[in-house]
Amino acid sequence: MNKQQVDIFPTKQGDGRPLNMEPAKGVLSHLSALEVRARSRQVQPRQRSRVEELRARAEALTVQRDRLKAEIHAHKGIEKHKTRLNNRGAAAAEEEMETEDNENEQLLHLIARVMDLKQLLYAHHIIGGYDITKTRRGKGICVTLSTAYEGVYLETYNMELDVGPTLKISRHNVPPFIPLGELCEPAGRQKDLRGFLDPLLTRLNAFAGRRQQLRLVKELHPSVTVMESNMLCSILVILLSTPREKTTLLCTLNYTDHTRCLPTGVHFDCEDKKLLESSKWKNNRKLLMETPVHKALGAMKNMDCIG
Amino acid sequence: MEDQMKSLLRQLVRRIPIRFLKVTLEKWGRLTVAQQQNIDFTQTKWALADELIAYSEENRLTLRHITELEMIYVIDNPNQGMWHAFQLVDPESDAPAVELMQFKEQFKSHLNELVRNVSVKMKKNTDEAVWIRIAWGDSCSRPNNMRPTYVVHYLQTPYVFVTRLTSKQKTLLSQAMIIATRHQAIKDAHLSGRNFSAIRDLLMQEYEQVFPAKYPSALVERNQIAALPNIEREQAEAEVNRLQMACEAFGGGKLPQLQSVVYKLETKFKDPSNQTFTEREKPFNCVVTFTSKNLLESLRHCASSGIASTPITPLLSSIPRRGRNYFVITDKVSGPSSQINPTV
Amino acid sequence: MSLLKPFSRRPALNTATILLVEREEEFQQRLAEVLVEETAVTLNVRLAKSLPLPFENQHSRPRIDLVVFIVNLTSELSLQSARASLKYLDPGYFLGKVCFMATNARNAAVPQERLDTLRGLAASLRCTLLFAEDQTADGATNASERLLTILKVAAGLVPMTTALYLSNLTMCTVPSNTNEVDFD
Repeated sequence: MNKQQVDIFPTKQGDGRPLNMEPAKGVLSHLSALEVRARSRQVQPRQRSRVEELRARAEALTVQRDRLKAEIHAHKGIEKHKTRLNNRGAAAAEEEMETEDNENEQLLHLIARVMDLKQLLYAHHIIGGYDITKTRRGKGICVTLSTAYEGVYLETYNMELDVGPTLKISRHNVPPFIPLGELCEPAGRQKDLRGFLDPLLTRLNAFAGRRQQLRLVKELHPSVTVMESNMLCSILVILLSTPREKTTLLCTLNYTDHTRCLPTGVHFDCEDKKLLESSKWKNNRKLLMETPVHKALGAMKNMDCIG
Repeated sequence: MEDQMKSLLRQLVRRIPIRFLKVTLEKWGRLTVAQQQNIDFTQTKWALADELIAYSEENRLTLRHITELEMIYVIDNPNQGMWHAFQLVDPESDAPAVELMQFKEQFKSHLNELVRNVSVKMKKNTDEAVWIRIAWGDSCSRPNNMRPTYVVHYLQTPYVFVTRLTSKQKTLLSQAMIIATRHQAIKDAHLSGRNFSAIRDLLMQEYEQVFPAKYPSALVERNQIAALPNIEREQAEAEVNRLQMACEAFGGGKLPQLQSVVYKLETKFKDPSNQTFTEREKPFNCVVTFTSKNLLESLRHCASSGIASTPITPLLSSIPRRGRNYFVITDKVSGPSSQINPTV
Repeated sequence: MSLLKPFSRRPALNTATILLVEREEEFQQRLAEVLVEETAVTLNVRLAKSLPLPFENQHSRPRIDLVVFIVNLTSELSLQSARASLKYLDPGYFLGKVCFMATNARNAAVPQERLDTLRGLAASLRCTLLFAEDQTADGATNASERLLTILKVAAGLVPMTTALYLSNLTMCTVPSNTNEVDFD
């Protein structure tokens, strides 16, 4: 028996190259090797010609243009209805609807009304209303509380509430040092959503404001060292240096009223007791009590009180 | 005292891997620059400890300085041993006003009143956390610095994290803690694990939570794969929904690396094919433990890929929502017996 | 309940559409990416977790020429889901336009009975049963190669042959003792 007959597969292929395959490996592996070769011989993906590409793009753009045109048309219709809706009283509009048989007109009318209401809702949100989303098919609501300080939006907090016989918080991302339970329980029992949210928002806003002030102090006044602060930002101890008297002052700001971003107490510590008695530093104390700390420090720097 | 210092330093050198040792010593700052440069980190740990002991004697360092070194190392590498979370409850009216100096004083004096021989060291970390190291002793023995308890507390928050605490010490610590923080009681938060930051982030809510909103969230965009034009997902909407649900339950982005959850079942056995067990009056007790490298992420994947059905059962969503990983499940006493609610 | 019908829409020129149904949604994505590399025909891939397909997509959905159920043998749910999806297919599909693809068949943890069930299911429906390796890139290429061969026939792109004819040659068979039971 010669070797050719023992091997099931010929060792040479049509193109003359030997197949680098051990014949002993079996039928299946041979088949898969053949498949790999077949695949490698397949034509490379042909490049789409530039013209074709551009044509496709042109077509897509035409479709988009048509769609936009249609949208504009629809919008115009809605606008027309809106002005009509605003000009005439509601009763007249209803009458109009009854008389008009045109179904399309009615639909446009309704769309106009929905858009109007949506805009009202948006306006409500802009002027400080709460952003509320219904969840779990009306069994709960999700409230978004956004905080801001001096016109800058800061953190946004969310709360999911169960609307049962009483309002109950089911989930929230309010930091743990804000006493949620204490703030919300009494109002929650009476299902008073505003009474529930308003104090909380005040607290959150004040907290965000104090934290922003601290951030600004660190950023704007590198010469002032922050010695001590806490998570709630209810205490702030800063080290001030006086350029003229060449001493250092320890200034402690207490924010015991957690609903405000201004301190309730300012205390200075210095070895030079006379300095603290001076009218200038009495003024500074007043300044710190009445203006946000980063601004007060800026003013004090301008007056050459601190370095 | 001298001996304790030496053995503590020796233990520390043994514990700290060589690659951290240099940085930790630098942070400690009790050795002169020349001394630090002289240290040969390639020698054996035993020889290294000898060298450090020699330097410490030269610089007249005391036990307190060595405990300082230990604290620096532990604060940077807290994931050693089991951490347990506790929750302070019933705050008094002046609780929010507690500040660090007052807390320090009160805690130390109250603990000293309760146990005579105890050594307490506190350090405030950059992230406002107060780290407390307690070496316990009793009336006749000096504080044992070799097995200290570590306590982490963020002032004004109700959470306390503790590691290496025996039950006897627990009562003492609890008392000192509630007095110093102006609370009335402390309770077990049923959350524990080896990864300290995971436990902290879970309770302090320092991870991204996802809430339902009117406006499309970034979630959808973030998860959209750059799709090939010829491939289309038929049920893409359902998929997005599932993802939203999963993220609402477990959070978005990177999740705290919680590694295990334990459910203790004390429910009646129900299986129609097994009469003997089903008819038993007593509940069938068993413990189910889930473990994973990152359990919350695994669960989120299960829910978003549809392996676990949505809406997600409260048994699973309670883990992040209530911040705990130990649950005892009992049958509801009233109402249909099939309902199971996770209760303490 | 809307049935998916094989001839509800007109075919497009030189186009073939394949629907990959997989409960786990893992292998289908990779498989789809390899499939669309095909250049000889315009190939559309639709991915689904299970049937029925959502009603809203009905208008945008082209005529589907081949439905592939990917079954991960390590999971019983995967098999159950594929079986449950079958009833949302028009009987016309079973004339050679459905095939099963089993993955993880070599896994030691797979019980023999599950494979037997799948084989019985495929045989009873006169469908082809393919096996694929889903862990490697090569496996995905191989699997797509096999699917393309069937798909081209099912889409009528291969002259002189039909899906019914091909499926008669390639359909799954089981040993005769179980075959008779399945026939009912």
